[in-house]
Amino acid sequence: MPANRRDFLKRALGASTLLGLSPTVPEFLCRAARAAGSRPSGGDTILVVVQLAGGNDGLNTVVPYADDHYARSRHTLRLAEKDVLKIDGLLGFHPGMPAFARLLQEGRLTVVQGVGYPHPNQSHETSLRIWQTARPENPAAQTGWLGGAADVLSGAGQADVPAMFVGQIAQPFTLHARTAIVPSVRAAEDCTLRVPRLACPTVFPALLDKPAVARGGAPGTLLEHVQRTAAAARIASRRIEQAAEAPAAVEYPPLPLAAMLRVIAQLIRADVGIRIYHTELGGEEPGGFDNHANQRDNHASLLRQLSQSVGAFVDDLRRAGFLDRVLLMTFSEFGRTLAENGRRGTDHGSAAPMFLAGGKLRGGLAGPHPDLSETEQGGVRHHTDFRRVYATILDRWLGLPSRVILGGQFEPLELFSG
Amino acid sequence: MATPPATPPSAPPACDPAWAWAPFVPDARRPWDLRLAGHLHRRAGFGGTWSELRESLADGPQKSIARLLRPAGDLAAFEQTFAAADAQAARSGSAEGLRAWWLLRMLQTPHPLLEKMTLFWHGHFAVAQARVRDPRLVHGYLKLLRARALGPFDRLLESIACDPAVLLALDGAANRRSSPSRGFAAALVGPFSLGEGHCSQQDLGEAARALTGQFVRQGELRFIEREHDPGVKRFLGEEGPWKTADILRIVLRQPALARRIVGKLYRWLISESEPPSAALLEPLAASFSRDYDTGKLVETMLRSNLFFSPAAYRQRIKGPVEFALGILRPLNALVPAAALAEHAAAVGQDLLGPPTVNGWEGGRTWITRATLTGRTNLAHALLFGGGAFAQPADPLAAAQKHGRGEPAAAGPFLLDLFLQGDPPEQTAAVLTKGPADGGDLRDRFRRLAFELVTSPEFQLS
Repeated sequence: MPANRRDFLKRALGASTLLGLSPTVPEFLCRAARAAGSRPSGGDTILVVVQLAGGNDGLNTVVPYADDHYARSRHTLRLAEKDVLKIDGLLGFHPGMPAFARLLQEGRLTVVQGVGYPHPNQSHETSLRIWQTARPENPAAQTGWLGGAADVLSGAGQADVPAMFVGQIAQPFTLHARTAIVPSVRAAEDCTLRVPRLACPTVFPALLDKPAVARGGAPGTLLEHVQRTAAAARIASRRIEQAAEAPAAVEYPPLPLAAMLRVIAQLIRADVGIRIYHTELGGEEPGGFDNHANQRDNHASLLRQLSQSVGAFVDDLRRAGFLDRVLLMTFSEFGRTLAENGRRGTDHGSAAPMFLAGGKLRGGLAGPHPDLSETEQGGVRHHTDFRRVYATILDRWLGLPSRVILGGQFEPLELFSG
Repeated sequence: MATPPATPPSAPPACDPAWAWAPFVPDARRPWDLRLAGHLHRRAGFGGTWSELRESLADGPQKSIARLLRPAGDLAAFEQTFAAADAQAARSGSAEGLRAWWLLRMLQTPHPLLEKMTLFWHGHFAVAQARVRDPRLVHGYLKLLRARALGPFDRLLESIACDPAVLLALDGAANRRSSPSRGFAAALVGPFSLGEGHCSQQDLGEAARALTGQFVRQGELRFIEREHDPGVKRFLGEEGPWKTADILRIVLRQPALARRIVGKLYRWLISESEPPSAALLEPLAASFSRDYDTGKLVETMLRSNLFFSPAAYRQRIKGPVEFALGILRPLNALVPAAALAEHAAAVGQDLLGPPTVNGWEGGRTWITRATLTGRTNLAHALLFGGGAFAQPADPLAAAQKHGRGEPAAAGPFLLDLFLQGDPPEQTAAVLTKGPADGGDLRDRFRRLAFELVTSPEFQLS
């Protein structure tokens, strides 16, 4: 071994301990990783999906306070003109959602109205699966729609970690992929090398010191693949650590969804090339939004959590300069019945609004409020198929082929500016 | 310590099938050494212990392979001690319990090749317990895979086609005449046998009709005659009033079937690097199509020149289960299997929960930044404790057992144990000098082990 290499090893591996590496990433390692294509994302767009499990009552979220059908059907749950945060002469947000009202005014929120699908299914499990797979016709579908997107991204070599679930529950089926491995995490630390006493354990710097060819890891070999990915992993870990250590630009409220969105914001700021994030509010099936009885307070608290958390997330990313690359989307498996059920609650319905937040949206209301004079199995009749929203996001936001991922062509919506 | 050879064992071109499949006989040019013994134990198991490696080194390849195929002695004793756990896993009614039980079995079995092949068939007949929702039936499915893992493939396929867990998982548990389950038929003649591109939509529809009448009731397979479509079906060019057995009979006559299974097994046992040529696989496929004897096929592959050539050596990427067991088995370490199963799932291999009916893609797809980070953190937990792993594995104890517990022996011993002379080149020079100084001896052995098992080389099988 030449003297300079020995010196290098001594420096790299440490004199008193083999592993006492400097915590900063050596320059050659960065070089190697850059050369290996693990450079920052170069400004790719990012999608953040929030699942609202249980069936959100869209009518008490975006409230048609001026609609007689609504007023007549909701004896105890009705929100009147004086209660809501007015959007226009017909609609207003639930009073617990001032952040949504503000984002709407700022043009950073879009309410896609009347979203559902034909022949709505009113079982939590089945309808959730339909929204997760985007395959109403095939209840046995093997992958979720974001899993399909992850497969396309990883298959095309565009991202080795195309998607990630950030949350406390089991990974939702939406992310179920055929070949892509989609991690589930609860905190940014879960994405970093947790090796407290060892500063730089996983990637031997020595591995990258020589060209891979010389030591058998010739280009295209399995060894080289592992080496290259290991180098990229070390860098990603470091970037995530730094992003997690940096203070957020805003204060997040002490709410579970806010905590998860804060983690996502950290990972977005780390800029490690993850294109799709998924989190949730409402928990495991049947989900917190399922309010058959005494709906008012529980629903209000969930909507407050949604609004405050998304508000903080959008503000954080805006100040950090990332908002133009980020789109957040909410969905729930169905809305609820127009009529109350006699237990101060509502039952499983059909269509409901979806919310989109981000820096590149047209903003405002997309589509008319559904006509409440004609209901569908007691719920709101849909006029916009949810797969049109998915297709628009895939094609026009993520730049992925919706036709392949959704298994069909769906007419896009005009959602984005510029 | 065995001195690592300057170059990999050289071999004639791997494309000559006659040479490739002839039994490997070591000679001066291709000596039997620790590297090849380690290679054999990685592929035919989950990595050898020091005793196993030494024994194989002394016995030579063919005798070692015979023992891996048919372990002497303690099998019955193992089955007996495991029977209680077996019954408990079946009764537990918990998906996690079953997954942990299987992993524990892989960790402790004296017949690792059998578990390795059971894992292979699980990836082939990929059934997820989330879709079965009955751990008792999944347990039955797993026992079926194991019972036939090295046995006749045609019998295995036939059993799978009427296994209640499989039918439930693939939407084939209520196969009515009025609505034949296309999904189940598609799996049976697709990923489970011929793969893609051999059956037209027409063939699929006809196969689905032939399979009607099969139901699962209270966990048992039932054939309900009035729900079976007795009409004539035309499947892969053959016409008749086919039932399930006929469809399988026709499938088993397709030359494509043997080629596909041999090809998959090639990827499992020999190499993921380069797809093999048709000519290379032809002799094995021809033989397999005659007898469907999986044990014989596995034996031919393991004994072959090709298996011990550079075309195979470290030309596979370990899956998460192989990675974790590759740390634990050589150290004779026991850890809470439920936590281990959870970790394996987090880095991409949820046992009994393969992503789709196509199983795990494997190969390069195992390795991402996230899974490498996860593997590193798992190795750390296994070796240093943390989380559920209160009792970390102890490399020093393994070394001491073999009289290698001196500080200076740590590097060479662990290098040989985990990488058999394929260390990350530059690092080896440092590591084999032994830990420099300071620190608890046990801890230093752990650090070395950690370094080795998180190296890129260790990710290769």
